[in-house]
Amino acid sequence: MEAFLHQLLGGLATGGIYASVALALVMIHQATHLLNFAQGEMAMFSTYIAWALINAGVPYWAAFFLTIAFAFLLGLAIQHFLMRNLRSTSVLQLVIVFIGLIVIFNSVAGWIFTYTIKDFPSPFPKGYLFGQKYLSPHELGAIGVTMVVLTLLWAFFRFTSLGLAMRAAAQNPVSSRLVGIRVAWMLALGWGLAAAIGAVAGMMVAPIVYLDPNMMAGILLYAFAAALIGGIDSPGGAVVGGFLVGVLENLLGAYVVGNELKLGVALVLIIGVLLVKPSGLFGSVQVTRV
Amino acid sequence: MSTPLLEVVDLHAGYGLTRVLHGISFSMEEGSITTLLGANGAGKTTTLRALCAMIRPQGEVRFRGERVDSRATEDIVRLGIGHVPEGRGTFVHLSTEENLRLGAYVRKDRAAVEQDFDRIYGYFPRLAERRRQQAGTLSGGEQQMLAVSRALMLRPRLLLLDEPSFGLAPLIVRELFEILRTINQKEGVSILLIEQNAAMALDLADQAYLIETGRVVLSGSAAEVRNNDAVRASYLGY
Repeated sequence: MEAFLHQLLGGLATGGIYASVALALVMIHQATHLLNFAQGEMAMFSTYIAWALINAGVPYWAAFFLTIAFAFLLGLAIQHFLMRNLRSTSVLQLVIVFIGLIVIFNSVAGWIFTYTIKDFPSPFPKGYLFGQKYLSPHELGAIGVTMVVLTLLWAFFRFTSLGLAMRAAAQNPVSSRLVGIRVAWMLALGWGLAAAIGAVAGMMVAPIVYLDPNMMAGILLYAFAAALIGGIDSPGGAVVGGFLVGVLENLLGAYVVGNELKLGVALVLIIGVLLVKPSGLFGSVQVTRV
Repeated sequence: MSTPLLEVVDLHAGYGLTRVLHGISFSMEEGSITTLLGANGAGKTTTLRALCAMIRPQGEVRFRGERVDSRATEDIVRLGIGHVPEGRGTFVHLSTEENLRLGAYVRKDRAAVEQDFDRIYGYFPRLAERRRQQAGTLSGGEQQMLAVSRALMLRPRLLLLDEPSFGLAPLIVRELFEILRTINQKEGVSILLIEQNAAMALDLADQAYLIETGRVVLSGSAAEVRNNDAVRASYLGY
């Protein structure tokens, strides 16, 4: 029973990280109807920036927020200088651009920081807290940070006029321009926010999986599964999906398929959702009149 | 003579290789209601789109004496030009209230914006009943009211209306036109109106221009245009 609880709660901790990355995917998908395959590599690269800052003597939380700012600008720049200038509307060509970004971030990270696996610090204390030993302080902290990020994001979209404008620009760019919204900047802002969320996820997961240029590959796969389970157009669904995938991964890994096949769970989930309920748990079915 | 509110000189525009406007020229005075009449495909909607830079025109567009034809749509809106587009342009996944809030997106006078909600709900009580409802679930008439209201939330100097009567029951059209007249008279909003229903448009308007295949072929006061024999035969049906 104790082992089961341990797996369950540990699943929630990694689930929070999947939820963050899934949310970043959903945000960009809502604005552009594209899946950003480079989301994970952007997060990885940002995490290296945090590592470099911390190694240079910057205190953890200062490095944390500087990294978020860096990631935000990185996302902004990718939309503003690269994606916006792509004249192509062919999905295949855009997918190739994303794959190109993956390779670039991966190689540049390896080139600058080497492929040696590095320790990444956790800002949270060692040893178990609150007289329980199911969740390490870092896991608890990661869940906490995830919840703070999600709450801030929700409040931003729900209560601010900029958040409303971003939602409007994503669903109806033509009408948005007619009320004066600068749609191109809203897209760039969406990319910036998504990259910032990814960076937080990267910094929270790095102490668990260790820092190396390939650290986000598996996580991105779980995040895809989470986003699809929740429904690719539902931010709330992405969050629920993230926690669900985290728990499923742990429980199936511990009791059914074994640790070696854990990543396969994500693939089975992705294919399963696409076969059985392509719109996901909370997504809406898109109907087009012809 | 004072500077016209809007002055269009030799406007050319089209879609890809298809040219739709072949040198449209017209002007309208501050505080007036002007209507552009014409058959389907004459270039009325294209003219409004070109004014708002939704398509790139050649020619001159002056708003209050200032060239605006090379500006972006977002900047033209900031000059106080509200556009009720063809097809209403509803943000279907957002609530009625959020749609209205977006209409006031460029305004900085927050307190006045909050008051304008009450003003709009005064004109269109149906929208007040539906304020929390997802706008895509509103009826066609309600969405048309919402589209007009969204443009009014800008507190525009000039309101561009693209077939506001489209798909509406006659009773609702009459109600809508009464409200447009009130807005023009009480708030001094100038209106450039495109209508299929020429009789109703001429009743409301001060000035009228008749467009045929991308050119202005007739212009004058609404009364003059209404009494023109060709207009009567082709557009008024008597």
